[in-house]
Amino acid sequence: MALELLLALVLGGISGIAVLLHLTGRSRQAVLGIETARSGWLRHFPGDRVLKVLPAASGQAALVLTSGGPGLLWAFGADTVGRHLDGSNTCETATGLRFEFNDFAAPGLSLTLSESERRQWLALISPPAETA
Amino acid sequence: MTGQISYPDVTQLAVPFFIAAILAEFLWIAVKHRGGRYETRDAVTSLIMGAGSVAEGLLLGFIAWALFMFLWELTPLNMGTSVWAVLACFVLDDLRYYWVHRFGHRVRWVWASHVNHHSSQHYNLTTALRQTWTGTFTFMMIVKAPMVLLGFHPALVLFCGGLNLIYQFWIHTEAVTRLPRWFELVMNTPSHHRAHHGRNPRYLDCNYAGVFIIWDKMFGTFVPEQDHDRPDYGLVHNIATFNPLRVAFHEWAGIFKDMSQPGLTLKQRLLYAFAPPGYSHDGSRDTSAGIKAAHLARHPEDAGTPGFGG
Repeated sequence: MALELLLALVLGGISGIAVLLHLTGRSRQAVLGIETARSGWLRHFPGDRVLKVLPAASGQAALVLTSGGPGLLWAFGADTVGRHLDGSNTCETATGLRFEFNDFAAPGLSLTLSESERRQWLALISPPAETA
Repeated sequence: MTGQISYPDVTQLAVPFFIAAILAEFLWIAVKHRGGRYETRDAVTSLIMGAGSVAEGLLLGFIAWALFMFLWELTPLNMGTSVWAVLACFVLDDLRYYWVHRFGHRVRWVWASHVNHHSSQHYNLTTALRQTWTGTFTFMMIVKAPMVLLGFHPALVLFCGGLNLIYQFWIHTEAVTRLPRWFELVMNTPSHHRAHHGRNPRYLDCNYAGVFIIWDKMFGTFVPEQDHDRPDYGLVHNIATFNPLRVAFHEWAGIFKDMSQPGLTLKQRLLYAFAPPGYSHDGSRDTSAGIKAAHLARHPEDAGTPGFGG
């Protein structure tokens, strides 16, 4: 097959399929509530014991408190992905929080959170050290 | 041994069929509201991975070709190009595929290349095209060497490899449930391969077959798909990116990061590259054996069932 024809088929095929999927609603993101986040977390980490789930008001993500420490579950297309937060960095942004996972397969994630959500999440992710 | 033999590049010729089949599967799902799921970015990533894999073949295919032609010059054997030779080559190549695929799941160096094929949480015909960009760097082309030395021309070996890949395209679907019993007994099918793509503990490291499922039955790696434990697609630790570059290289980056940790012995560094995926020098991660054991600790009732020693 001529390279030009192969290139046209590949580019046309990918573009056409992308447009078709988008126009038929296949670009919708998952929305997380307490139960969907809990089951989503256990799907990724079946050995964890979930203590508490705090979905963001946007439904974009949820902070999951587990027996092994806090974790973050977030919408990844129509599905979800999760990461424990030990070894990650969390910083405040103008609109919420940004997470850096130090993981090549999980580039940083910026979440939009209200001021109260941000404070609550930060307190749970990095609780103040107990005083003696 | 010399000889000018050429066969068509069947994977390139199949591209229009791939596109048409994807559209047909999508329409089937849209109309029937069953038989799988499609997601835009997931599908586009898979398709770009497929295009990149073809490009890698065009750019680096000469390395394997040069090796095979070198071996072809050495061998005194010539199986010819009869129908029987093509059939024998196809079956032997499928056996070759089984072992390369098994290495691809049991040796992290090879898994680094193959992992991207399993990195989608979806299972549809676009997943079939989510292919590696780094296959050359695994050096698994060496497993084809015995076939050339046996007298199968390199062009024939590559032709059969292409046919094998095309066969595997159509089994990446949820639209087909089960096929006739005789077919399921001998051939790799959508059902068998769905199990292979499952991240459920039951399905880890099973059903490596390309075309004939008999290899898994012969070598003890066959696990039938269970209706009560539907395959959950993706990786044990799912990736969080649709970026094709990250999809293609994330495990290689992981190997480099692990091997370059301070304070490891040479053996530990090498094990990070060549031990089964999930190896860690401090036991902080789980291999598939550990994952199965942890599952059985939570669900002892599964002991002795398919995938758990049954």
